[in-house]
Amino acid sequence: MESAATRVEAPPASAAPLQESFFARNRHFLLLAPGVVWMVVFLIIPLLMMVYVSFWTQTTFAIKPDLTVKSWETFFSSDTYLGALLRTLRLWLTVLALTFIIGYPTALFIGQFVRNRTVQTVLLVACVIPFWTSFLIRVLAWRPMLGKEGAINIVLTDLGLITTPIESLLFTELSVVIGMVQIYVVFMVGPIAFMLARIDDALIESARDLGASAWTIFRKIIFPLSLPGVIVGAIFVSVMVLGEFATASALSGRKVNLLGNIILTQVGSLKWAFAAVAGVILTVVMAVVITGLLRVVNLRREL
Amino acid sequence: MMQLQGLSKAYAGKPAIVDLSLTVHDDEYLTLLGPSGSGKSTLLRLVAGLERPDAGRIFLNGEDLTPRPAHKRGLGFVQQSYALFPHMSVYENVAFGLKNRQENAIVDESLLHRKVQEMLDLVGLAELGGRGVGQISGGQRQRVSLARTLVTEPSICLLDEPLGALDANLRERMTIELRRIRSTLGVTFLHVTGNEAEALAMGDRMIVLDAGRAIQIAPPDSVFNQPETVEVAKYINSYNILSGETRDGEFLHGAANLAMPAGVANAAAYVVRHDAVNVLPPGNQPSDGEAGLEARFIASEFMGSRVLYFFQGLEGEILQVENHLSTADPVTYQSGEVRTLAWNIAEVLAYDGDGRRIKQQLKGAA
Repeated sequence: MESAATRVEAPPASAAPLQESFFARNRHFLLLAPGVVWMVVFLIIPLLMMVYVSFWTQTTFAIKPDLTVKSWETFFSSDTYLGALLRTLRLWLTVLALTFIIGYPTALFIGQFVRNRTVQTVLLVACVIPFWTSFLIRVLAWRPMLGKEGAINIVLTDLGLITTPIESLLFTELSVVIGMVQIYVVFMVGPIAFMLARIDDALIESARDLGASAWTIFRKIIFPLSLPGVIVGAIFVSVMVLGEFATASALSGRKVNLLGNIILTQVGSLKWAFAAVAGVILTVVMAVVITGLLRVVNLRREL
Repeated sequence: MMQLQGLSKAYAGKPAIVDLSLTVHDDEYLTLLGPSGSGKSTLLRLVAGLERPDAGRIFLNGEDLTPRPAHKRGLGFVQQSYALFPHMSVYENVAFGLKNRQENAIVDESLLHRKVQEMLDLVGLAELGGRGVGQISGGQRQRVSLARTLVTEPSICLLDEPLGALDANLRERMTIELRRIRSTLGVTFLHVTGNEAEALAMGDRMIVLDAGRAIQIAPPDSVFNQPETVEVAKYINSYNILSGETRDGEFLHGAANLAMPAGVANAAAYVVRHDAVNVLPPGNQPSDGEAGLEARFIASEFMGSRVLYFFQGLEGEILQVENHLSTADPVTYQSGEVRTLAWNIAEVLAYDGDGRRIKQQLKGAA
């Protein structure tokens, strides 16, 4: 064996094709250049700048590049700002849970119980119809619904279910939750319905044939196979809710301040250093949340 | 023992199964042969409880199964696509039924482990329990699917074209494996296939299904030697079928008059097995006791141990001649060459206008 192998002549060392130039061998990386340049200039550098600026010295009317941790100290010693962080997290978890609770059954219906592909698509498109109006209109439309003299209170009063209007419906955290869930639930429905529709009927039939009840089949087959959809949906919802400011300011009467609202007001009053601190914290929170969600399932394997 | 009584099922008014009755014995290998669209998958799905029949009943050991849902029937159904659970390992797939069935699930881990391991041993996958189902070959997946069903000890195991997705080499090995596994466990297999060779080779008995009806239920050798109807002869894919009419004891096929077996009248189809036909040397005529027909040579196909010759008769019909190389050397014909094809009259099967075999005749050599 060995002698046969050694008898195979090695090509002469001077063989030209092996000595292709470095550029010729790596030419295909040029395809990445536009994207990389774009991301570096408009994402990486601004992100680094934000971290850098958060350590600048902020005075009432000016900002100077003298490094200090004062803005960070202010953030973590102020109840207002820490409260905003906690409120953001609480609201995010509430909205995430509600979009899942409302979205999953809807997706289950579309993905598993509607057999016709066309009808499935029509139903998913129907979920997106609210997006044909502008974001502002969708949010502000909740005011005449939830207000003290709004539609819900009028209907409940006329039905005799309540005597005095419920005031906590509007300009509270509740109204912000209601508004956000309505806007973002579709981002949960879409990916889950997509994963559910991909489950082969033969799997469910096999599980039935092996003696499993409907509930067992859901727990052991359907839900695990739809989990990647849940995670993708949760990432969509999380990213959008954590950075929210518009729904909160429109439906809470500026009483519910989220991290996004803090950034907005600080930038408005030219407090760049402080806005940068809030921005860094928000970015870190999002990174942690997404990393955590991605650990639940191996998306690369599942999709 | 399972009995199907007058089962019928239609999809959107189109009948898939028509008034089908059948008895499945214990410990037998039953094959069900039918072309695509004959209703064979529908029949399995009705038995498994994945579809509801429009009419008819299914009895298992005297008990009426018809109203029971699939997960309470105690039957096993091996899907054509294997349908392995993609998020589970081989072991977890096989354990699924025992662990998760609604009725007498096994909770004792050591008992579960023993049963699953025994089954993996039986199908030859003892070492692969920990693999993901995406990491094994097609043939191994087939075995996992089979093991997953058999481990639940079904009274009857339904197999929907189990060899369809395997390549030829593997199919032959699996054929032997399936028979071995079945006889080891003593469980009844109802094996559906569109491949006549598979149905003939594997079954203790076979059912030929056509347009939702069982047209012959018999052991493979009698299905092969005495097809009950012209349709069966067609599905067996080993017969030349000539149409025509009977006049004065002879069969008129176009311009040709073919001699008939004695005592047959009113035949509408004249059927001869591929390997009963001989190609006569030029100038020779069929001898006594033989019938013959002129036909033009088209092509031949070398099959290893045998050769198929394709001829075209004057009516445009295709005639096949099969020679086993153990009895004759291959012959080369010129394309378009006209030869006389001849066969022993005793080998002829005749069918009446309804396609039923005319039985009074005696089958000769066979």
